[in-house]
Parts: sequence; structure tokens; C-alpha cells
Amino acid sequence: MRILAVVVCVLALAPAGLPPYAMTLLTEALILGLFAMSLDLMVGYTRLLSFGHAAAYGLGAYAAGNLLLHTSIPLVFTILLAALCSGVVAIGVAWVCTLASGVSFSMLTLAFAQLLYAVAFKWTAVTGASDGLAGIPRSPGPFGITFFEGRAGFYYLVLACLVAAFIFCRSLVRSPFGAVLRGIRENEAKTLSLGYNTRRYKIAVVAISFTLGGLAGALYAPFAGFTNTELLFWLFSGQVLIMVIVGGTGTLIGPIIGAAFFMLVSNLLSSWTDSWALFFGAIFILFVLFAPQGIWGLATRWRSLSSTG
Amino acid sequence: MDFLGFLVTQCLNALSQAALLFFLGVGLTLIFGIMRIVNFAHGAFFMLGAYVGYSAVHLTGSFWASLVAAPLLVGGFGAAFELGILRRLYRRDHSAFLMVTFGLTLVMGEAIRLSWGVAALEVPAPKSLSGIVFILDEPFPIYRLFLIGAGIVVALAIWQFLDRTRLGLLIRATSQNAEMVHALGTDVRLVRSAVFGIGCGLAGIGGVFAAPLVTASLGMAPNAVIDTFVIVIIGGMGSFAGSLIGALLVAFVQVFGTYYFPDLALALMYLLMLIVLVIRPGGLLGKEA
Repeated sequence: MRILAVVVCVLALAPAGLPPYAMTLLTEALILGLFAMSLDLMVGYTRLLSFGHAAAYGLGAYAAGNLLLHTSIPLVFTILLAALCSGVVAIGVAWVCTLASGVSFSMLTLAFAQLLYAVAFKWTAVTGASDGLAGIPRSPGPFGITFFEGRAGFYYLVLACLVAAFIFCRSLVRSPFGAVLRGIRENEAKTLSLGYNTRRYKIAVVAISFTLGGLAGALYAPFAGFTNTELLFWLFSGQVLIMVIVGGTGTLIGPIIGAAFFMLVSNLLSSWTDSWALFFGAIFILFVLFAPQGIWGLATRWRSLSSTG
Repeated sequence: MDFLGFLVTQCLNALSQAALLFFLGVGLTLIFGIMRIVNFAHGAFFMLGAYVGYSAVHLTGSFWASLVAAPLLVGGFGAAFELGILRRLYRRDHSAFLMVTFGLTLVMGEAIRLSWGVAALEVPAPKSLSGIVFILDEPFPIYRLFLIGAGIVVALAIWQFLDRTRLGLLIRATSQNAEMVHALGTDVRLVRSAVFGIGCGLAGIGGVFAAPLVTASLGMAPNAVIDTFVIVIIGGMGSFAGSLIGALLVAFVQVFGTYYFPDLALALMYLLMLIVLVIRPGGLLGKEA
């Protein structure tokens, strides 16, 4: 908890010391961190391997984009509304997807995301088809507050969302609800036989995960100023899964680190080679093979070893 | 336009599409049946087949040579990957395979881009198969008729291979009870490597066959892998006949959907899959619910 406070303080001081380009990267890393953490609720705590989490991000981004372009609702409320949008859609998605389990569940989530991707390509009025939505503003207010429109202000908004979401997720996984999720992860049949309606819990966790993923997407739309169908593409779902695994599943912190690592490595690699995906794919394979607990898992194990030894 | 002629040529079109999809689906379902793993890199192997086919055509000048070279090379690479990497993962849960093969997809996509460049590569159909015939006064490409024939031949060959040969017997036995097969003195690990190689080789053949129709391009892998998953999920994971039925259903939905509902064409395939899964979560011929 004390480390967390220190990290948040350091992050809060970042706008004072970092150049604009680094601030942009950091903001995007935090948004991706929020997105990856939302997936961890499903993958790490419930073992619901989603291959379509881009759907959550895309829903949030397009909802926020439309609200900001066509209404004058303040930015802060817009992102919350867009996140809710994503969560509500998720209840329907989860209802269907939880009919299956294991690999079929993963593939159903992929199918849903691709369905949305296909819709986004055709529904020009709402999504702008392949052009996407451009010129998304950061609407002012409420009470005429314009703080969040600037680079630093928007960064603080993202940071606040991430910290709030992290505290919410941490208390969620420590609650009795979280215990049932872990029960489903370890042995769903046993949890079911203890009298828990596991399907209802799974639908709930998908909805929560989509709401937070939608929040990340809703932040991305005004951050980048545009949305496009790439946000719904399966490759993006795969990338966020990489962030979760490389960072460390079932830890909440891990996926955030994974997202930052992803941003860092792809930026470093892309400055001296344009085939960074080659290295990234290889790094990912090595992590799954030799360090399935991820970066955060390695770090905590190393810390406990050094403290006992 | 004569409606009957239109209907017949569209059906033939769908059948040739189904043949291509079948090459992909049957490989994936074979691999799943034996190893209980989902090969996310299946589309990448398909793409590799198309590129290797392109190079083989240019080196030897013969399309038929590429039909032999591509599956051997692609299948060999698949088997080597199983031996080197996948083998370490059998004790882990199924998600580890999805991830490693996803990583492989990224690596293969980049490696192909570095080796062959970003431009789409034209692969000419062999002279004897280019041109068109008239079916009920409608023009139809000979190459697509050839694909239908090739699909039927390969389907029969796989069926006979699984049903009549010793390796086929071992494959079926391993898919039912791997430990028992191992206890009876067969090295199951070799069966797995062989099946992974065969599955990838089939995807490679599919790539060679597809190249003259769609050109070899970097967009092949993602499209192929999703189509393949849809087929196998509709048909039922691990079911040979299921992959055939799935390929036919998806091909007909794609071809007729594109004609009648051009705006919904992309979505129709996923809707079909959702409907099947809601009715039968394990797929049409799948065993698991």
C-alpha cells in the first residue's frame, strides 16, 4: 500500500519533469494499463480467456466519440457514460458466451468482437466506417472547468481513472465475490456444487471487465482525437492478452506493468527496426514458455527469495 | 440472366470456396482432436504455404512442383515447432498453446514480410487450368472446378488415411485415450509431432491452392485463421466430418451472403456460428458440450 502511494506520487509529478512526447506515451501507457487490468479480472481471476477484449475498448471509444462529437456533455461524464454503455452490451455478450466454456468460450468472444468489427465497417452513420471518427474534442465542464482539456490535465484524468479502477478491482478480488471467482478458476464444478450460480458470476465479471475496458476506450477517443476500426480488430485483443500474460496474470499490478512494458519495447524497437512484431512475438513466446508468472510474478518471487535468503 | 445457370455457377463457386476452407479446417480439427490444443498460427501456416508456393513456381516454373514443395516445407516447419517448443507445454492448460501459437503468428507474419516484402504476389494458375468453361451459358473459371476436384480428392484421401492406415489408427486411438496408447508401447509424442506437421502441411496446401485466386499477401493469415475457427467451431472441435460440413456451410453463407446481403456479408458468418453454438455449444458434430 505504501509502495502504491509512492508510485502514484511519482506518476503525479511526471508532468513537471517530462517532455511532451514522453507525456503522450505515458498517458497512452496508463490507458492501456487500465485496459489490460480490466482483462485480468477475466483471464487471471476467473480463467475466462477472452480473445475479443478489443470489443470493450472499441465500444467505449466509439460511444465516447459519438457523445463528444454530437452532444455537449462534459468530458468527465462522457467517459463514465461510455464505460456504462460497454458494460451493458457486455451483459448480452456474456449471456451468450457463457453458454460455452474453455476454448469455445474464447472463440465466441473472438466472434463477437469480429461481429462488432464487421458492423463498425458498415454502420457509417455511427462509426464513420473505415475512415473512423475524427476530430473528437475534449468537451469542457462541468461548471466551465477546462482543466482536463490540456495535456497535463488529461493525464491527471487518466491517472485518476486508473487509480480508482485499481482500488475498485483490488477490493473486488478480495471480497467474497472475488473468492467465488477464484473458485470458478480453480474448479468450476466444485464451486457450482457449493451452491453458487457460477454462470451468473461469470456474466457479472465479464460485465465489470467490459465496463472498465470501456472506460479505457472512452479515455482513448478524446486522447487520440480519433477512433478507427483497428480498435475492434482481433490483433488488438491479442496484444492486450500479451500485456496481461507478460505482466503477470491474476495480480492486477502485473498487467499494468505489462502494458507499460509493451509500450516501452514497441517504441524502443520501432526506433531501430520496423519489424518489432518479430521480436515481440519471440519475447512473448519465451515468457509463456519460461516465465508464465510474468514480470510481476518474477519480481515478487525474487523479492521473497532475497528476503528469506 | 438465366436463374438456373446463375444458381449452378454460384453453387460451384461456393463448393470451390468450401474446398479451400476445408484444407484449413481439417488440419486445425485434426490437431485439436489429438492434442486438445488450438493452433492460432494455422492462418500463418496457410500464408506461408502461399508464399513458398510462389517461390517454388518461380524457381521451377511448375505449379505442380509447388504443390509438393509447399506442404513438405510448411509441414516440416510445423513438426519442428512442435518438437522444439509446443512439446514443453503439454502439462500446462490449453491457454498456453493459444498464446504461444499467437506469438508464432506475429513472428511468422514479420518473417514473411522481411523475406518476401509487403507487395501482394501474383501466382499464375497453370496453363492447363486457366481459362473458363461455359456451364448453362454462364462463364466459370476452370481453376475453381479444379479446386472442387482437389478438395474431394484430399477429403477422400484423409478419410482413407485415418480409416485404413496404421498411423491413422494410432491417430484415432490417441485422440480417444492418449495414455492407453502410450502404455501399449507407442511413442505418443511422435504421433503428436506427426499430426501437427500434417495439419500444418494441409494448411500449406490450402495456401498454394488459394494463391492463384487471391494472390499471396500479408492479410491472408488473420482472415484465414478466423474463417478456420468458425468452421471448426460450427462443425465441432476434433470432428473430421464436422470440418467438412462447417466448410460447406460457411462457404455457402459467404458466397450467397455476399450476393444477396452485401452489407451483412461479413456478419452473416459470425451469426451462423452464434446460432450453432447457442443450439449446440459443442458444435454440430462435437462431443463436448
